[in-house]
Amino acid sequence: MGLDYKWVLWNAHKKTYDRLILLGMVTYLVLFFVLSFLTNPEIIAETVIIRAFGSLAIIMLHIILAIGPLSRLNPRFLPLLYNRRHLGVSMFLAALVHGVFAIIQFHALGNSNPIVSVFTSNMDYGSLVNFPFQVLGFLALLILFTMASTSHDFFLHNLSPKIWKGLHMGVYLAYALVIMHVFLGAFQQDTSFLTVLALFLGLITLVSLHVRAALKEAKIDGFVWAKDTKGWLAVCHPREIAESYAKIFTVDGERVAIFKHEGKLSAIHNVCKHQGGPLGEGKIVDGCVTCPWHGYQYLAHNGQSPPPFTEKVKTYALKIENDMVYINPEAFPEGTAVTPISSGS
Amino acid sequence: METAITIFLGILSGYFAIGLLFALYVMLIGARKIDPLLADSKKGIRVLLFPGVVATWPFFFAKLFRFRRS
Repeated sequence: MGLDYKWVLWNAHKKTYDRLILLGMVTYLVLFFVLSFLTNPEIIAETVIIRAFGSLAIIMLHIILAIGPLSRLNPRFLPLLYNRRHLGVSMFLAALVHGVFAIIQFHALGNSNPIVSVFTSNMDYGSLVNFPFQVLGFLALLILFTMASTSHDFFLHNLSPKIWKGLHMGVYLAYALVIMHVFLGAFQQDTSFLTVLALFLGLITLVSLHVRAALKEAKIDGFVWAKDTKGWLAVCHPREIAESYAKIFTVDGERVAIFKHEGKLSAIHNVCKHQGGPLGEGKIVDGCVTCPWHGYQYLAHNGQSPPPFTEKVKTYALKIENDMVYINPEAFPEGTAVTPISSGS
Repeated sequence: METAITIFLGILSGYFAIGLLFALYVMLIGARKIDPLLADSKKGIRVLLFPGVVATWPFFFAKLFRFRRS
């Protein structure tokens, strides 16, 4: 939502989140360095740098992948979602330091090109246990680079939300490569049992969170609403929707958010035009439905962003009969004005 | 396997080399053809966007091609 591109659309929350990210990263690195040199005074600095930044990147990647399902399971985690983009870029930078130092330490001192050496120093590609794990890390880093470098609204706008989202789903492929990179590395090098155990627990936690969130979503999408004679769906009592908030319903396979604003109800498509954020999980701020992800705004009665912005979402007709809110499942075209109905509260 | 690695790294190098040249063109000359909002934004933003254009240049190349045909 903007008339030109800016480096970052700063607000007070974003600055706080970024300070926390920086503080967390610096604290982890300092602790890692101090503990490494205390427990093993013989260790060389390059090795500590590689391990510190590599483990930091993996921890951050786990946090990033956990934020999505956690937010769907509990709205209290939503604030973490707002700044996931900066967390992702920070994670890439940590992974980049790990990768660059690893290539310098293990591949830059020979006769061949260091990148070629990553692929050719171990040619045991047919082996499961001795497979060259550094290649997997390199490929993961390439994916993370593509994602980090396109983490700006310019790319979302120009690549289209569908392609952009597809590109950024590559994080799961990167995660799989990272997991194999570390597990194989552990088999081939002297990595502690605790590292492998922590990674395994992280994997189990992430899979569990994603499955729980998917089951919750499936329950919402699978609900069958009672219909009246005209095909309108009875979705809830008016009092179930809190003032300035919404409830989300799946209507003919589409998610719809019914908002209550100044005691009146309006229904709009639940999917934000920016990054597909769930509008119904946001609230009304300054008279506008405000997406919880990045603050894109829409007027509830017509699904249009306030001028001069141009984003539009579909709208739906509502009615109240016998203290029940009914919705017409046939959507109006994007940006169509619909008179809000009184909720009687 | 060595041949496969050589081909893969050759394609990868070529992809990023073309991306580098294309991103330079977009950032220095073709910004308006890609996105009018970019032309209206501060010039410094192009530094931030440069690596992403290098990484995803085929999408922008297609967009530039469509712009030329329209």
